[in-house]
Amino acid sequence: MSAGAQMRSVWFWLSVALVVIFAVFLLYPLMNVLASSFGGARADGRTGWQVLLAEPKYIRAVTNTVLLGLAVTATCTLVGVPLAYIAARYSFRGKALIALLPLTTLIVPEVIAAQTWLMMLGNNGLLTRALADWGIALPSFYGWLGLITVMTFIYYTYVYIGTLAAIRAFDAQLEEAARSLGTSPAMSRWKVMVPVVLPSILASALLVFTLVVGNFAVATILGHKVELLSVITYQTFVSEVGADPVMQSTLASVSIIIVAAVLFIQRMVLARGRFEITLGRGAKPEPLHGLAAPLLAGAAGLVVIISLLPLATVVAGAFTRARGPVMRWGEWTTANIERVLINAPDPIINTLIFASIATVTSILISTVASYVIVKKRNALTPVIDYLAALPLALSGTVIGIGLVISFNTGWLPLTGTAAIIVLAYVIRRLPFGVRNASSTLYNVPNSIEEASISLGVPPVRSFVNVVLPLMIPSIAAAAVLVWTTTVAELSASVVVYSGGKETLPIQIFRLIDSGLMAQASAYGLVLVATILIPIVIATSVFKLDIFGAR
Amino acid sequence: MATISIDNLAVSYSGTRVIDGLDLTIDAGSFFTLLGPSGCGKTTLLRTLAGFLPVAEGNIRFGDADVTALPAHRRDIGMVFQDYALFPDKTVFDNVAYGLRARRRDEQTITRKVGEYLERVGLTGLAARHPAALSGGQRQRVALARALVIQPQVLLMDEPLSNLDAKLRVQVRETIADLQREAGITTVFVTHDQEEALALSGRIGLMRQGRIEQNAVPQDIYRLPASGYVADFVGAANVIAVETAGQQDTASPLTVAVAGAQISATVPLPLAAGPAVLIARPEDLHLRREAGQANTISGIIVRKQYLGSRTNYRVRPASGLDIAVDLHGPGHNDFGVGDAVGVVFDPSKTLVTAT
Repeated sequence: MSAGAQMRSVWFWLSVALVVIFAVFLLYPLMNVLASSFGGARADGRTGWQVLLAEPKYIRAVTNTVLLGLAVTATCTLVGVPLAYIAARYSFRGKALIALLPLTTLIVPEVIAAQTWLMMLGNNGLLTRALADWGIALPSFYGWLGLITVMTFIYYTYVYIGTLAAIRAFDAQLEEAARSLGTSPAMSRWKVMVPVVLPSILASALLVFTLVVGNFAVATILGHKVELLSVITYQTFVSEVGADPVMQSTLASVSIIIVAAVLFIQRMVLARGRFEITLGRGAKPEPLHGLAAPLLAGAAGLVVIISLLPLATVVAGAFTRARGPVMRWGEWTTANIERVLINAPDPIINTLIFASIATVTSILISTVASYVIVKKRNALTPVIDYLAALPLALSGTVIGIGLVISFNTGWLPLTGTAAIIVLAYVIRRLPFGVRNASSTLYNVPNSIEEASISLGVPPVRSFVNVVLPLMIPSIAAAAVLVWTTTVAELSASVVVYSGGKETLPIQIFRLIDSGLMAQASAYGLVLVATILIPIVIATSVFKLDIFGAR
Repeated sequence: MATISIDNLAVSYSGTRVIDGLDLTIDAGSFFTLLGPSGCGKTTLLRTLAGFLPVAEGNIRFGDADVTALPAHRRDIGMVFQDYALFPDKTVFDNVAYGLRARRRDEQTITRKVGEYLERVGLTGLAARHPAALSGGQRQRVALARALVIQPQVLLMDEPLSNLDAKLRVQVRETIADLQREAGITTVFVTHDQEEALALSGRIGLMRQGRIEQNAVPQDIYRLPASGYVADFVGAANVIAVETAGQQDTASPLTVAVAGAQISATVPLPLAAGPAVLIARPEDLHLRREAGQANTISGIIVRKQYLGSRTNYRVRPASGLDIAVDLHGPGHNDFGVGDAVGVVFDPSKTLVTAT
């Protein structure tokens, strides 16, 4: 064997190992879902797809899901784009608060967002009852109104972040050039900036669409009579009577197909819109004057306040006395917190253990994967790159169902163990880890490693000696992101977990179902703390730029 | 210190043969430069010598040892990179000590040697700094010390000066020359800069499409280029396509027809019949007002650039391409655009070679 081939072989075999891991725990479950939807025969002899097309319930679920996706994508764009523009181009008092926005989606898990909105505006909600006392009857928050409102305030930050980055990268000189050629300021913005920024807006809007299609927590808690794909899929899966494995796979396949179609469109949009964007100096934010100042600042402030409302509600709820489902607002107590910490800490312990194992595993895989993808290209690395991003296109429900039907019995029976929860975590958050761990690698020149090798240090030790230390900040940022999104994970773990292995989000979900909001808030507060503490430590003690890495 | 022997080497890079059937011997202790335009295979050859690229065919020996299949970290080389490749998280001291630590030298030896080599490259006192706090020239000196401190058999340098500005380039160039002479390490230096190559090298291997086009001392590369390609790459040259009947004898001159004139020229290497090139450097040509002399091509001056100590003229013959002429000395500025002149070729400084 030649010197080069020998040198590469370590990385080559690690690449093989990664492909095998991804094939067994990601591709194989996915294939099982798709295969069982096409090949499986139900008791009545029809295939899943025949049932799907014949039953109005399923057709409605697909239509509703797509409609909800479109509606939320539209509202998120309406909120996110103007907010990004205001944040990028104007300065006003209190603007620093807007910088907190990307945080809110990260630190408020979807299940808590749904719960706290219900505590405010549900049938027994604080605001609903307060307004009822004044004689104002609010429409029911369950159904379309609640779904669209809550999802908008969860997901608009994706549009906001994507648009803000694009506007900041946009070279303001182009706008000046357009003005120097005789176009009015408003027109030059429309003609020059909009086409350059548009692909980023579209890409983030489409991302919102896929998130809505895959959303489980809000859809289940607030959907009520609106049939949605993710809810029906889950119900088909857990239904006590007549569990329908073929139907559950078919419904899961539908969501895979919808998301795949959207990602395909996104690719086309991005490919067409890939301009040579010269990284110029972005425009300096201008101070706002006159009447516009309080109006714009007020509008932006309102969005910020609504986004932070769940956080305030969960804190208040955790310390409010409750009798069964009835919240006694204004009567404070530490009983809820004591209860979850002392009497029933199992969900907390489970979450910490499962998420720790998952984060460590995920970071090991991500470090090796991102390194071979960026630095040691071989025939397998494009496959690894593709597979590592694949979970982005799969909803948690689909991943959960795939794992359950693949590892229920047979050569690797995992159902009922904690391992399958950890596995669901690792697979679901894989793209986060790989993308973030690789972020600094592009800036590490290959020559550094070669310099170490030329000085007599073998390849793998050279990697550990000189490349790994440079990767540490991005690995740490990746670890924080994987951790925060893993402890909040619900849709996959709720499918694969079994009794006694409840995690915090699962427990909160079950308590909301029983209407026990005070206890749910107490667990919610612990969950937010579990998420927030590592972020605070990482950003303030270790000065990590977590949001830059994202 | 070791002789490098390369025998029938072939290297493929992403599917294409970048080097094919290359033979080369580099003497122990010499300074050898691989010179050529980008894409000629010089960096590929250097990286193959380092062990970073796999050999498809042939073999490489350092002294008596066949290193063809030896992984890079066991080849006992020192390498200096274009982008310095300093470890950014380590201090200057730790960068230079890196190779010694890999060789498990004791700390006392390491401290002494690092200090000695930092002094040699003129960086005493900067040992505690990080690379980010150094200038480009200082960084490359650290890289040089790091590669030399392990006293490798072979020193490989990949365009080490190309990221430096012109003034620093000359300074670091002198440091490299001094250190190499003192240490006597067999050195292979890659560059596309002809001046660098001429100034530093004991021998130059001028590369073209994965082969060595000419392997010679700097003076011969410049004075006796083996082909029009070499003449064109090193310095300015008029390279004029001609047809010859060939000539094996290198002692007597050969006369060729160029632009309606008969030009007598030297044949440095045996020449086969067919297409060849006539090579004349602009500074070796003269201008004359009278036409009809021997070894003279008549034409009109179409452009003139006054450059102080010399003047550059462009002469257009009745047929064929323009000829560049550089005049020095008294009266170099005496001709004007539109003048009818004769370009005079000196047979001893005019060559006919393969294309």
